[in-house]
Amino acid sequence: MPSHRDEESAHLCLGRLVNRFGDDNERVMALIGLMKEADATDDATLEVVLKEYEALLQENPTNIPIVKRRVALLRSIGRIPDAVTALTGLLDFSPTDSEAWSELSDIYFSQGLYSQAIFALEEVLVLQPNAWNNRGAAPHVHQIGIGDQNDSAKQLAEALKRFCRSIELCDDYLRGYYGLKLTTTQLLNDPPKPSKQAESDGLSPPNLSTLQKLDGLATEKLGEITRRFTAGERGWRGFEEAEIVAARELLEKSSSTTVR
Amino acid sequence: MTWFSKSTTTFGFLLLAHACYSAYEHSALQSHRAASLSSLSATTQQAAASSSLPLDISLETIVATLVITLGLVLNTAKLRPIQWRVWAGQIERAGEEGARNSSGEVDRDYVGNPFKLLESRPGFVDIRKQRKEFAEWVKRQ
Repeated sequence: MPSHRDEESAHLCLGRLVNRFGDDNERVMALIGLMKEADATDDATLEVVLKEYEALLQENPTNIPIVKRRVALLRSIGRIPDAVTALTGLLDFSPTDSEAWSELSDIYFSQGLYSQAIFALEEVLVLQPNAWNNRGAAPHVHQIGIGDQNDSAKQLAEALKRFCRSIELCDDYLRGYYGLKLTTTQLLNDPPKPSKQAESDGLSPPNLSTLQKLDGLATEKLGEITRRFTAGERGWRGFEEAEIVAARELLEKSSSTTVR
Repeated sequence: MTWFSKSTTTFGFLLLAHACYSAYEHSALQSHRAASLSSLSATTQQAAASSSLPLDISLETIVATLVITLGLVLNTAKLRPIQWRVWAGQIERAGEEGARNSSGEVDRDYVGNPFKLLESRPGFVDIRKQRKEFAEWVKRQ
């Protein structure tokens, strides 16, 4: 458990915030609730906290920080459907909240509802078109295992497009290149049959030579990033260690399959 | 190159101070001469000539200003990338390192990836899960 001192300093900070902004400030109210959740030891206490959130929302139903806390708490205690209902309620009166759309997509994704997750992510895309880390492509990739053959070509092409956009928005974006490599490998190893419907949507995957070029580019870039990060070069140390390890594993796997 | 820009700026300020002092001396001398001349003869023809500054002092002032400007411009921090993808790439690649100024401190307005909130979502934090993870991390230390 976190030591007693950590909790003490957290309470001290919260006390100062309350003194400064008053306990009727919406953000401070959310922080107070957060503290109660953290201190709760059993489910009964959590229920009490949930009841308090609901009472606060009775007074002011548009208290956004509290609505968000309620969603998080519902999700945390496993009442996912209630969490989704509360979250869609929030999005009804605050549809430009990209954080909430992103959370909704994450909840749907965790439940395997990929098309809903994609819908929510597309909302994020509309709200934050320049965000290079929008994970628009991730559910597309995962949907492959589920969608039928005609659909998977379309999803892969879509995923390819999203990763290319991420890279276009951000030089040396490790996760973008990782996704690109993953998608091109899949498209090259198992080329989906071209379907008329996908072509009419303008979503058919690019031809073979373009795919090979993209694959080569991704391999080269991933190699460069892992090499320069491992060498500890100046200005290349900002990546996450775990992501570098994953990229190296992907590279090794793909090179071993080409040798075979 | 910081010593270069600093010495250039200092040199410029010295020139400017010198020009100011020269202008002051010049005007003091002229008024003294005018006063002594007017005591000798009642003509005021000399007064008009004394009001204009000699060319070398004006030139020195202009050159000093230019030198100071040059020194200050040379001393400015490195400019941020103006293209979105270059700027974003720098954040991804270098992290905090890319935002350090010449004295090695991270810029106060550095926030990293401004779209991080789409992934971390602080409004929806699952505090009990984080608490558990923290407890495990403490145990492993």
